[in-house]
Amino acid sequence: MTTPAAEVQSPARSAAPRLTLGALLAAALLLLPFTVSSFWIRIATEVLLWAGLAQSWNIIGGYTGYLSFGHGAFFGLGAYVTGIGMTVLGWPFAAGLVVSGVLAAALAAAIGYPTLRLRGAYFAIATWAFGEMLRQVATVLEVTGGAFGMRLPAFLNLPFFYYVTLGTSALVYLTTYLLLERSPFGYKLLAIREHEEAAEMVGVNTVAVKVNAFALSAFFPGVLGGIYAYWLTYIHPDSVLGGIITDLMVVMVFLGGMGTFWGPLLGAFLVQLVSRSLWLVWGESTLYLVIIGAAICVVVLFMPGGIVGLLEGRRAPLLAPRAAWRWWRERVRW
Amino acid sequence: MELFLQTLIDGALIGGLIIVVGVGFSLCFGVMHIVDFAVGEWVMLGAYTAYWLVRYLGQDPMIYLPLIFALFFAAGWLIYPLIYRAVSGRRHHPALMGLVFTFGLSTLAKGGALSAWGYHVRSVSTWLSGQSVSLGVTTLPALRLAGFVFGVLTTVLFMIFLYGTRLGVSIRATAQDRETAALLGVDVRRVGALVYATYAGLTGMTGVLIGALFSIHAAMGAKYVIFAFFVVVLAGMGYVPGVIVAGLLLGLIQSFVGVYISGRYTLFALFLLMYVSLLVAPRGILRRGL
Repeated sequence: MTTPAAEVQSPARSAAPRLTLGALLAAALLLLPFTVSSFWIRIATEVLLWAGLAQSWNIIGGYTGYLSFGHGAFFGLGAYVTGIGMTVLGWPFAAGLVVSGVLAAALAAAIGYPTLRLRGAYFAIATWAFGEMLRQVATVLEVTGGAFGMRLPAFLNLPFFYYVTLGTSALVYLTTYLLLERSPFGYKLLAIREHEEAAEMVGVNTVAVKVNAFALSAFFPGVLGGIYAYWLTYIHPDSVLGGIITDLMVVMVFLGGMGTFWGPLLGAFLVQLVSRSLWLVWGESTLYLVIIGAAICVVVLFMPGGIVGLLEGRRAPLLAPRAAWRWWRERVRW
Repeated sequence: MELFLQTLIDGALIGGLIIVVGVGFSLCFGVMHIVDFAVGEWVMLGAYTAYWLVRYLGQDPMIYLPLIFALFFAAGWLIYPLIYRAVSGRRHHPALMGLVFTFGLSTLAKGGALSAWGYHVRSVSTWLSGQSVSLGVTTLPALRLAGFVFGVLTTVLFMIFLYGTRLGVSIRATAQDRETAALLGVDVRRVGALVYATYAGLTGMTGVLIGALFSIHAAMGAKYVIFAFFVVVLAGMGYVPGVIVAGLLLGLIQSFVGVYISGRYTLFALFLLMYVSLLVAPRGILRRGL
């Protein structure tokens, strides 16, 4: 978890196989809607949506080390802003998305400014209270349709939503890679996470950097919320502002590995896989909350670095058969 | 004027109960640097325990208060080693891990309650329900008064324990400086367990009264998490006496917003106030927080 970004890549490995792998993955993702049924397109869209959300949370939670327990609020805000923009104000979809993202980022900056100057606990509390507050407001206001929710103009085109979600989530990962893994901004965040006083002493304007990071991490959920609203065409406070959205982001990032680049993607994929499989068995159930809660507790207690941390902790990759065998023999003796 | 007085008294009475929750929550932060997201879930579980006890054993919920304290004390004592594991050891961000862990606990408890008992709203009644004490122009609902008396009594007893006994001194010492306290022979781990268990017990007991005053349902906890947060933010994190002022203030705000504006805007009002408070007085309105 604390391994600096630069150390993760071993210099000996050449870039060619990774590029090939990346190109293959991109091609597979781009061609997916032409090859599978609409059921799988829907599942893939969901996985991409959550991968984007989890990485957004990772920007503030993982890279900066400040836990936002109200991140679902930005998602819901985006959904409602796009919904109201399209139905009441007659905006086009794209305008709704941009306004959603900008508004979410602006609100995040406003909340972040007083709370990010204090200890992490205040920030966690304030964001959580913000989420609860926004849900209550959405239930009361008339323009949001109150507890009954609101309808958006129907646009039933699965591949369209697949590509829009893919584009946005890819943008999240690209931004994270360029801005957090490969730029001074990312190193500033890392310095803040590892030792805030020291970072301040060497001249990092910690508050400004943190507020920027929080605004950035709120921008994408706003946009993704807008996409989600138009995709499902019906939203209500519990579906887009429910606490479970934040819960899922947290569990995905923690399971995958906090502050790692690939962790959120891995976590989102695994959690979606499990939750969709369970959904086939149980249908809608509150037992998911139990599972999410238990998963968070277990990960915190026994594998604080998440799956990526677990893999990195072993010097040799576990996928190599001989290394895996040695790892196994070191632990299991008979 | 009558309405104003009534609102004032109602608010102050509710404030008495909120103080109990706030004191434990604040102490938890002071001693162990843990912000317990599960605070609302302790309230909810306390209320449910009272409900099931009354359902199967009969009698008045009030007589189960000591039993519920004991039960929740034990539960807190059992959970504490896990929290301790989450915030210590070879981890890089102990405070963050503690936060996430209690967040997971709270999700687990809420999900468990929803799965086991569903969304039904339940209620318990006590011999005090429906009775009232008249006081000049206003009347005091007896149950609210009992809740207030309970709150004041518990807080006073707890304060006496904290400021008057040797154990209380070691708790306050740990809150002030963990390392020094440990060097001077305080078993900080045991102190932590004791504080967490006491806090769980007190919060569970308060849950019984809250359940009797309002209604009991699985998602009721969230509201009390916000209340507890609000109280400690205004009081200053970890500063116990400030909790009394902030708790009363919260009761009043809730009551006045509910009566004069609308009950549906209370969270909004609380959030705004909390925001302003963090902006202008981050260490609490009395400027004594950690």
